[in-house]
Amino acid sequence: MKSQAELLEVANHELEAFSYSVSHDLRAPLRHIAGFVDLLLRHNEAQLDETGQRRLKLINESARRMAQLIDDLLVFSRMGRAELQRSRVDLNAMVKTVLADLEQETRGRQIRWVINRLPQVEGDPSMLRLALTNLMGNAVKYTSTREEAVIEIGAVEEAPDGIEVFVRDNGVGFDMTYVEKLFGVFQRLHRQEEFSGTGIGLANVRRIIHRHGGRTWAEGALDQGATFHISLPRHEEGKEDRPWAA
Amino acid sequence: MGGLTRILLADDSRSDVELAIEALTEHHLANQVVTVSDGAEALDYLYSRGRFEGRSDGLPALVLLDIHMPKVDGLEVLRRIRADALLATLPVVMLTSSRQERDIVESYRHRVNGFMVKPIDFPAFIEAVKALGLSWGVVNEPTAGAKRAA
Repeated sequence: MKSQAELLEVANHELEAFSYSVSHDLRAPLRHIAGFVDLLLRHNEAQLDETGQRRLKLINESARRMAQLIDDLLVFSRMGRAELQRSRVDLNAMVKTVLADLEQETRGRQIRWVINRLPQVEGDPSMLRLALTNLMGNAVKYTSTREEAVIEIGAVEEAPDGIEVFVRDNGVGFDMTYVEKLFGVFQRLHRQEEFSGTGIGLANVRRIIHRHGGRTWAEGALDQGATFHISLPRHEEGKEDRPWAA
Repeated sequence: MGGLTRILLADDSRSDVELAIEALTEHHLANQVVTVSDGAEALDYLYSRGRFEGRSDGLPALVLLDIHMPKVDGLEVLRRIRADALLATLPVVMLTSSRQERDIVESYRHRVNGFMVKPIDFPAFIEAVKALGLSWGVVNEPTAGAKRAA
């Protein structure tokens, strides 16, 4: 009989083969659709009436969107499989990096950032950065209808289940009835035309934080902003056995 | 007018070949693109054998290899090119549908000259092909009649 570890190994291997073929085999026909539509638009646009041109553009947009969904799904599956590379992470520095990453999204916007002192945590830096990017990016996105956006980032160090970090915004908020949907894969509470995105961001945040042994939750109200919380287990000094964290 | 620059393009997908030729044409890259549909044919071309028996126009300026092809795949063609003293210095660029780490690692292990993920976005593909042409010196002066493969 196969051991649990061996079965797990097989399952992981299958999953890897699956995502490989998803990324490879699904992308090829999609590329052909997008490529030939683009060629039609380049060389034959004048032969089409307005409706025809519009439909070609719609095909093109749909192909791009599907490509984005495939990419997002692959990142999501990688977040579930990749081994955690733990080290000490200074969240203050990470917030600064993410702010710089969001430069394009924040350009021309009036945003008041209230950034409180954040603790050091232990975790996988690239995964935590993705989680933070998603939370801060969402705050930027869902306040885009506000004249002045106010985004606050803070921490509760003595929270009951470890270190708690929150991102609060004064954006469009959401109806608490659907709060659990927010963290689902490709679940969205807004139409594409209102706010862009595929709906993978918070699913990634939840997966990343769960893998670190933490929790994710949110509160908000329609048109009254939202607050997203993550918790991470407290790093215990007594358990220190990793030389790089000393 | 300089000598003819020839590109050998190996890809089993007819659609990908058509799109690649369109992109090459857009930039007047290569007056001649020889297309083959698997790795075995690519090797036949390089060794002037099989249906390319008796060919005497020398080696191409650049070889573009799709990674996933029937019979002999792109990585195997690359490995054989590098193992043959007469072909070893041929510029080879791998083409692939997805950014899969193991393919990239494997390609560089066999001293590939470049690696290109075919983008979904066709204008981006055209730009990538242009960059490819510039780095491998296969850009041609747009001469009359040379826009399409001879």
